Amino acid sequence: MSRGKWFLIVCAALLACSMALWAAPITVRYTLWDANQLPAYQKVADNFMAKNPNIKIEITQMGWGDYWNDLQTSMVAGTASDVFTDHLAKYPEFAAKGQLLDIEPMVKADKVDTKVYLTGLADLWTRDGKRFGLPKDWDTIAVVYNKDMAAKAGITDVEMNSMTWNPRDGGTFETVLRKFAQDKNGNNGLSSKFDPKNVVRWGIAMDYSNFGAYGQQFWSTFAASTGWKFTDGMYARKYYYDDSRFVQTIQYLADLSRKKGLMTPYEAISAANIGATALFTSQKTGLILDGSWMIGFYGGNTDFKVGFARLPQGPIGRRSMFNGLADSIYIRTQHPKEAWQWVKYLGSAEAQNVVGGYGAVFPAIQSGVQAANEAYKAKSLDVTAFTAQALEKNGTFLFPITDNASEINSIMQQAEDSIFLGQATAADALKAANAKVNATFNK
Amino acid sequence: MKMTLPRLLFWVAVVVIALVTLFPFYWAARTALTFPRAVYTHPTAFLPPELTIGNYQRVLGLVDAETSVRLGGSGQKINFFIFLRNSIIVSTLIAVGQVFFSAAAAYAFARLRFPLRRQIFGVYLSALMVPGIVLLIPNFVLIKSLGWLNTYQGIAAPAFLMSPFAVFFLRQFFLGMNRELEEAALVEGAGRLRIFFQIAIPLSMTAISTLAIITFIYSWNDYLWPLLIGKNEGVRMLTVALGVFKQQGAQNAPDWAGLMAGTMLAVVPVLVLFLAFGKRVINSIGFTGFR
Amino acid sequence: MAEPSEKAKRPRSTARLQESGTALLFIIPSLLGFMVFFAIPAVRGLYISFTDWNLLTPPKPVGLANYVALFQDPDFWNALKVTTFYVLWNIPIQTVLAVIVALVMQAASRSTLLKGVVLLPWLMPNVVVAMLWMWILDPTLGLINVAVRALGGPLIPFLSSANMALPTIAGINIWRYLGYTALLVFAGLQTIPTEVNEAARIDGADDQQRFWHITLPLLRPVLAFVIVTSVLGSFQVFDTVAVTTKGGPINVTKVFNFMIYQQAFERFRMGYSTAVSMVLFLILIGVGLIQMRLLKAGEAES
Repeated sequence: MSRGKWFLIVCAALLACSMALWAAPITVRYTLWDANQLPAYQKVADNFMAKNPNIKIEITQMGWGDYWNDLQTSMVAGTASDVFTDHLAKYPEFAAKGQLLDIEPMVKADKVDTKVYLTGLADLWTRDGKRFGLPKDWDTIAVVYNKDMAAKAGITDVEMNSMTWNPRDGGTFETVLRKFAQDKNGNNGLSSKFDPKNVVRWGIAMDYSNFGAYGQQFWSTFAASTGWKFTDGMYARKYYYDDSRFVQTIQYLADLSRKKGLMTPYEAISAANIGATALFTSQKTGLILDGSWMIGFYGGNTDFKVGFARLPQGPIGRRSMFNGLADSIYIRTQHPKEAWQWVKYLGSAEAQNVVGGYGAVFPAIQSGVQAANEAYKAKSLDVTAFTAQALEKNGTFLFPITDNASEINSIMQQAEDSIFLGQATAADALKAANAKVNATFNK
Repeated sequence: MKMTLPRLLFWVAVVVIALVTLFPFYWAARTALTFPRAVYTHPTAFLPPELTIGNYQRVLGLVDAETSVRLGGSGQKINFFIFLRNSIIVSTLIAVGQVFFSAAAAYAFARLRFPLRRQIFGVYLSALMVPGIVLLIPNFVLIKSLGWLNTYQGIAAPAFLMSPFAVFFLRQFFLGMNRELEEAALVEGAGRLRIFFQIAIPLSMTAISTLAIITFIYSWNDYLWPLLIGKNEGVRMLTVALGVFKQQGAQNAPDWAGLMAGTMLAVVPVLVLFLAFGKRVINSIGFTGFR
Repeated sequence: MAEPSEKAKRPRSTARLQESGTALLFIIPSLLGFMVFFAIPAVRGLYISFTDWNLLTPPKPVGLANYVALFQDPDFWNALKVTTFYVLWNIPIQTVLAVIVALVMQAASRSTLLKGVVLLPWLMPNVVVAMLWMWILDPTLGLINVAVRALGGPLIPFLSSANMALPTIAGINIWRYLGYTALLVFAGLQTIPTEVNEAARIDGADDQQRFWHITLPLLRPVLAFVIVTSVLGSFQVFDTVAVTTKGGPINVTKVFNFMIYQQAFERFRMGYSTAVSMVLFLILIGVGLIQMRLLKAGEAES
C-alpha cells in the first residue's frame, strides 16, 4: 500500500540531505571566458588563497559565445558572479544600468597605484570619477599563417610581413590570398581558371557573427588603416558606419568572399561558432587575423608550423585594434570586501607576472609583459608581430566606448549578416544601420 | 514469408526509421570516444579516429586541470556527479510532489461532488494554454523575493504542487476506473481519505507511475527555468551544465568530444529509467493523448 | 444516480457538506499551486506589461505604451512571421510522418522495440538534441557536408544560411518529437475497432481505400488533438534556437520566445517583453480556437 507514502518519505529524505549539504565558506565566484588563460588564473587563485585562507576563489570558465548572454541573464536574476572579467565595449552599459561596483573609493583607501599600468589603460575604465576595473591585460591583432602551406605556395616570410592593402584592388595582401587559395580542380587563386564557386581552400577565414559592431579580428584592421574612425572619442554619441571609407572596406571584404572566392563564405562559418580558428587548424585556409591572446593556443594545437606576421599596410599604415580587459565587481555581491581583495590582487604585479609567465596573454603591467615575452621565447614563439604593433606610434586604436553597446551590436550584426550573405550592398545596409545606431542615442 | 511489396516497404520503413533515429546517438558516442583534436582532423571517420576515454575522464572530473588540458580539454573543473545529483534531486522532488498532489486533486474532481467543481477544473485546464514564457518572469520575481534563488525548492516550486496536465491526465484515469471497490468501502463506513490512499492509488498505480516517469523526464530535460533559478554549481542541473560546458573549449570552438561525452552520460539515467519502465510508458502514452 | 427521497435529503446535505470538506482537503495543495504559480503570476505579468521596468528601479506605469510600441516594432512582426513559418514547416511534415510511423508500428504490433527506439530522441533534453545536430550539420566539418562534398556536391549551410536555418530547426524538432507524436497516433489507431476494418475488407475494399475512407476519418479526434497540441507547443519553440542560431542569421530564426527572452535579459526591458508575451498568449488562444473549429475536434466521423 504504502507506495505513495514511501515516495513521500524518499523525497523528504532527499530534501533533508540537500539542505544538509548547504554549509559554505566565504566563496568569491569569478568568471572568465578564455579557456587558454584558465590554468594561469587558477594558479593566481591558488596563490591568493594561500595568502587569504578565509577566502575561497571559485573560477568558472564560460566561452565567449555564451559569456555575455549568461552574464546578463544572471544580472537580471541577481545571481551574477561576484567578480567577472569585463570588456571595454561592454562595461559602459553595465555601469549605466548600475550593475557594477565603483572601486574608486577602495582604490583611494588602499592607495593602489594606477600608474603601473601601461599608459592610458587605467583611465579607460573610469567614467565621471568612478572606476569600474583595474587593467589586467592588453592585446593586439596580427596575421596568423600556416608556414608549411606558405612554403609550398611559394610565399616567403618577408612577403608575409610586408603585405600592402587598399580597398580597390586588395594590394599584395590579395596576391598572398590568391597564392593560398585552391579550387576543386587544383587551380590556385592566381590562375585564370580559378573557380570562385568551388573553393576547397581559402586564403583567409573570418568569424562573421562575432561582435559585429567592432570587427576586432575581422574588418577593424582594414577599416582603420584607411584613416576611418568609429566615433570622435570616448562616450561619443555618434558613429560613422556610413563613412565612404568604411563602406568601401566592407564591400571589398564582401566581394572577397562572394565574388572572388578568396575568403570563406558566411555559410561556411557555422552557427556553432566553430569558426575561423577551427578552419585554420584543419588547414582549410592559409591565414587568419587573430589576437595575441591566442598565441599560446596556436603554438600547441596545430599539425603544422604556425607563423605570426605583421598586419598588411593600408593607405595610412598598419592599424590594430587595441583591447584591454579588467575585472569588475558585481554590485550585488554578497562579499564586496573579499571581492575587492581579489580584484586588487588580480591588478597587482605579483598576479600579472604569473599570468604572463604562462604565456597566455600580455599583462597590463610592464613586468608581466616581460614575463610573457620570456614565456613565449621559451616555447620558440616569435611574437614580435604583436608587440611591434603595440609599440608602433599610432599603431593601435581602441574599441569604441559608448552607451547602448548591445543594441548597436545587434543592429550592426544584422546589417553585416545581410551584406556578407550577399543580400544587400554595403552602401545601402550601412547607411540604414548607421542611422539606426545614431538614433539609439536619441531615446 | 513472402516478400510482397507491402512487406518490403514495411521493412524499408523500419530500417529507415531505426537508422535516422539511432545514427545521431551513435555519432555522439563515437565523438565522445575521440581525442579532441582528431575531431577536426578526421571529421568523417566512422570509427573513433583516436580512441580515448579521456573525454569521459575529464567530464567526470576524474583528472586535474593540467591533465585535462593535455587530454585536449580546457582545464575547467567539471563536477559531473554534482550536476547529476542535482538533476536527480530536483526531478524526483517534482515528480513525486506533482504527481501526488495532482492525484489528490484529480481524485476529487473525478469522484467527489462539490460546488464549482466543473468551473475549477475548467480553470485548471485553461492554464494549459498559457505559454510558459508569460509566467516565467513573474514566477522568477516571486522566487527571488522568497529568497529561493539557487535552491532546490526554488527550482522545483512552480511544478511541485500541481500541473494542469497531470490533473487532467489522472482525472481521465480515475473517471474510467471501476467504482465497485470504492463503493464497497464507502458502505462499510470508510472515509474518503482512506479510500484514496488504500484503494484509489494502488488501483491506478500504472497511470500514476507512468505520469511520474513522464514528469521526471520533463523536469530532467528542462532548460530555461533551471538556467534562471539554479546557476550556482551547488544546484545546477545537468541540462544547464551541458549548456555551460558547450562553450568550454579553446576560444570559440565547442569542446565537441567532451560535450558528447557529457551528453552520453546525461542520457544514461533517463535511458536506465526507460529500460526499466519503458514498456509501461510506451503503452500508457496513449492515455496522455485523448479522451 | 437516482433522485434521493425526502427522507434521505437531510442526512444527504450534511453528507454533501462533508464531501465538500473532504474535496477541499484534496484540492487545496493543487489550488495553492495554481494560484501562486499560475494565476497570480499571470495577473502580475499583465500588470508588469503596463509598466516600464528594468528590475533595478521601481516599475513605472506607462499604460498601453508597451502595446503601442510592440505593434510598431519590426522585431515583433518579424517574430510573428518567423514563428508562423516555423510552425508551417514543422507541424504538417511531422504529422504526416507520425501517421506513417504509426502505421508501421501497427504492422509491427508485437514489438515494443521499435516503439522504444522511436521514442529515444524524446528522452534527450532539447539542448542536447540541438548540439548533436549542430555538430552533424556543421558546414565544413560536419559529417553530412563532408560526405556530400566527397561525392562532389555543394556546401549545404543548414544553420548558417538565411534560407535554410528555419527549416533546419524545424527538422531538428521533427526528429525529436516524431516518436512521441507517432505513439499518440498509434494509440489512436488502436481504438479503431477491427470489425469495421474487417467488414470493409470483406466488402472488397483494398488497403488504400480502407485507409482513406475508414482509418483516417476515425482517427480524426486523435489527429485533431495531436495537431492542436503540437501547434501550440511549436509556437513556443525556444531551446533549439537559443542553443544553435540565437535568432540569426539576420533574424530569420528569431522566434517569439527568443525575442521575448532577448528583450527581457539583454535589454532589461521587463515591461515590454511581458507585453509581447501577453500578445503571444492571445495569439495562442486564437490559434487554438481556430484549429478546434477547423478540425471539428469534438466529433468523430461514424
